[in-house]
Amino acid sequence: MTRLLRTTFATLLLAAAASAQETVTAYTNATLMPGGKPAISNATMVVSGGKVLAIGGADLKVPEGAKVVDCGGKTITPGLIDASFRSASNQQDLNEQSEEVTPHLRILDNLDPKSPLFERARNHGVTTVHVMPGTRNVIGGLGCVIKTHGDDPKSMVIKEDASLRIVMGAEPSMSNRAIRGGRVNSIYYRRPTTRMGVIWTVRRAFYDAQEQLTKTQGAPDGAPASPGLEVLTQVLQGKLTAVTTARSEQDLRTALRIAEEFGYETVIDEAQDAYMVADELAAKRAVVMLGAPSAESVSGSAGSDGASPRSGTVAVLAAKGIRFVITTGTNRAALPLIREAMFAHRFGLGPQQALDAITIEPAKLLGLDDRIGSLAAGKDADFVIWSHDPLDPAAVAESVHINGKSVSQIR
Amino acid sequence: MQTLMKHWSTGALLLTALTSALPTARLNAQDVIVEADKIVIAFGEDGAKATVLTDSALLIRDGKVALVGDDIPAEARNSARVIDYGASTISPGFVLAATTLGRDADLAEGAIAFTPDLRAAEAFDPWQKELAQLGPAGVTAFGLAPSPRNVAGGIGAVIKPAKGQARMAMAEAFVGFSLIRQARSQERLPTSLMGALEMLRESFAAAQLGVQIGPDLEVLRQVMSGQRRAMIHANTFAELNGALDLAKAWNFAPVIIGANDADKLMSKLAAAAEGVVLAPLNPRARTADLELPKKLAEAGVPFCFAGRPDQLRLSAALAVHHGLDRNTANAALTRAPASMLGARDAIGSLRQGCGADFVVFDGDLLDLSSRHVATWVDGEVVHGTAPQGTPRPNTLNSAGGR
Repeated sequence: MTRLLRTTFATLLLAAAASAQETVTAYTNATLMPGGKPAISNATMVVSGGKVLAIGGADLKVPEGAKVVDCGGKTITPGLIDASFRSASNQQDLNEQSEEVTPHLRILDNLDPKSPLFERARNHGVTTVHVMPGTRNVIGGLGCVIKTHGDDPKSMVIKEDASLRIVMGAEPSMSNRAIRGGRVNSIYYRRPTTRMGVIWTVRRAFYDAQEQLTKTQGAPDGAPASPGLEVLTQVLQGKLTAVTTARSEQDLRTALRIAEEFGYETVIDEAQDAYMVADELAAKRAVVMLGAPSAESVSGSAGSDGASPRSGTVAVLAAKGIRFVITTGTNRAALPLIREAMFAHRFGLGPQQALDAITIEPAKLLGLDDRIGSLAAGKDADFVIWSHDPLDPAAVAESVHINGKSVSQIR
Repeated sequence: MQTLMKHWSTGALLLTALTSALPTARLNAQDVIVEADKIVIAFGEDGAKATVLTDSALLIRDGKVALVGDDIPAEARNSARVIDYGASTISPGFVLAATTLGRDADLAEGAIAFTPDLRAAEAFDPWQKELAQLGPAGVTAFGLAPSPRNVAGGIGAVIKPAKGQARMAMAEAFVGFSLIRQARSQERLPTSLMGALEMLRESFAAAQLGVQIGPDLEVLRQVMSGQRRAMIHANTFAELNGALDLAKAWNFAPVIIGANDADKLMSKLAAAAEGVVLAPLNPRARTADLELPKKLAEAGVPFCFAGRPDQLRLSAALAVHHGLDRNTANAALTRAPASMLGARDAIGSLRQGCGADFVVFDGDLLDLSSRHVATWVDGEVVHGTAPQGTPRPNTLNSAGGR
C-alpha cells in the first residue's frame, strides 16, 4: 500500500515537472526546405520554447514525451520574410508630407498589428515583414522589422531602426506645386517639383550631414544635431542601412551615383528596370529588393515612374550573381509573397533560389539571419506547413507558426 | 436668432411664472429645500452601488447642496422655500466631458498645430445660442475643449449653463491633444501620425530638459508633474497605441477621446488611461460600437459620452440595451465625466458641498419614455418647472424615514 502510494506520488511529481517545462513538439514525416540549403525529405523538426531545437532526417530521434505531429509528407518552409511590406492602404498615413526630408520619423508609430493587411500576409505564410515609410518623401524615415502577429507593435519588433528610406524619381515631387498654379500659402508650394529637384534635395541633406560630421569630429559633446541630421550621419558612418527606392533605369543609376558620391552603401528597392543596369549593380555589389516580379505578366502593369518591368529580371539578376530578394513592395497589384516567388521560379529561378529569395536572403539583408529566414537549431520557430509544394499554384499555407505558436486563422 | 428669441421668451415666461407663484421669494437670498420621492445622491463608480435616498430632500444654499436628507434640521422649513417634485426622481445633472459646442473653428488656432497654452475659455461666448440645448438635455456642466484640429490644442474649461449668461466654473481645467485625422489634414505640419507623435515627443523632451522656456512647454511640464489632466483625441489602433506610449514615457494618465478601436488594446487602455470619452451612440451604430461600453466596463475602464447634448441619455440607454449595467451607464452620464474633468468634488454628484446641479425625471433616467421635468444648475431652474410644495414633516424630522 505504502509502495503504491509512493509510486503514485512519484508519477504525480513527474507529471508536474513535465507540465512546468515547455512543451516539446516534433514535426515528423515532412519535406523540409530549411532555407539556404537543399530540401530534406522524410525530415523531422523539433520545436520548443519558441525555438527550433533540432532538424534532421528520419534518423533524428524524437525526444521522449514530445508531442508528435505527423506532417504526412507535406512541405515545411521557414516563415516567409517580406522585405518591403506596405503597412497601410492609405498613402497619407505613410508619409509626413509637410517636409521633404524627414529621416527621423518612424513607421513604427503608424502600425496596426490587427489590420487586415497583416492578417492577409500571415495567412499566406509571411511571418516577418520589413516596413518602411511611404514613397512620397525624398527621405521618408526609419523602417523597422516586425513579426506579423502580436497585440502591441513594440512587442512584435525584432529590429527597431532597421533602415532609412530614400526615394528617387518623380514620386516625391508629385504633390508639390510648381511656381504657377496652386495656393501660394500652401505647404505644398515648394521644391522639389522635378526629378532634378528630388536629387538636389538628397544631395543637400547628405551635404548637411557631412558638415555635421566634420563639425563634431573630435568633439563628441558638441551641439546636438537635429534628430533628422543624426539619422543621416548614421547612414554616412555605415551604422544604418540605406534603402533607395528607384524604379526606372535613370533612377537606378542616380541611386548608385549618389551613394557613391557620399560614400554610403545602399540597398536598391523596387528596381523594376534592374535588368537594364545589371552590370553596374553587379560591379557595385549592390543588393536588390525586387518589388512584385509578377506585375508585368499578371496585371500587365507597365511599371510606375517610367519603368518597364520584365518578368525575366530575376533570371538576369541570378545570372549576373547579383544578390536580390523578392518583395511585394509598393505595387498595389502585387500577389501574395509566395506567389511572387512562384512567378520568379516560372521565369527562371530554381525552386530553392526562389524560396531563398523570400526567406534566408531577406533575413541576411536585414541582418537577422541568426534568428529568422532558415530552420536550424537555435533559430526562431517561425515556419509554415504547406498543403503542396509551396511553389505549386495550388499550395496554401495550412498552418503558420510564429515563435512556435500557431497563428493560422480560418480563411 | 429666431430660436434664440423664442428661447428667451420661454425663459422669461418661466421666470415670471415662478416669481408670481412665490411673491415674496428672493431666489438667491434664501435657502431652498427640494423634495422628491427618490433622490440619487451619486451613481457609484467602480462597481459601487448608487447612493439613493427615498422620500427625502436637499437643502440648497448659495447654489450648493448644503445639507442632505436627515441632516436637514426641522427649523429649516420655517425660512426655506420648498419645492416638491412628488413622485419624481432627482439625479445628479449630466456632465458633457468635452465639446466645442459647435464653435470648432474658434477653438483651433490654424497657423500651427502646437498651441498647448491657448485657453478655450477665451474663445467662449457666454451667450452663445448652443448653450440653450443644454438645459433641455439635462446637461449641467461641460468641458469646453479646444478643437481636435490641433495636435496640442490648448487648455479646456469647465462651464455651467445658467438662466442668463453661462458661468465659468474652472477656466483652466485640462489640456487637449489630438492625434486623429482632423489634426493631420490642415495643410501644415504634421500631415501624418508619425509626424504628430514625433512633434509631441520632441516637445515633451524639450519640456523635460528645461533648456527652452515658454508658456507652451510649461503646460507640458504641468502634464508631466500630474498638475494638469491631459485629454487626447485618438481613434485608430495606431493613434491609441501612440497616445498611451507617449503617456507612459512621460508618466501621465490621459483621458482618451474617441477610442473607436479600444477593443483592440483593452488591457493597455485599462492600465494606462484615466478614462475614455466615447462618441454618442445611435440605434443604427455598428454592434461593435454599441457593445463597446459594456466591454470597457468589464475591463474596468471608466468612460462617458460626449457629442450632441441631446444624445447623452440615448447613448446610455443604448449601452444598457447592449449589455451595460444601469449603474455604470448612469455614472457615465454624471460621475465618470466629472472625474475625468478633475472636478468630482464639485460636480457629478449631489453630495454635501457639490453644486446643486440636478435633473428631475418622472421615471427611470434610462427609460426613454420618462418625462424630463426640470434641470437645475447651481440651485436655479434652467429648464422645466419647480412646483411649490409644503415641507413633508417626516423628511425634516431627524427621526424621519429615508
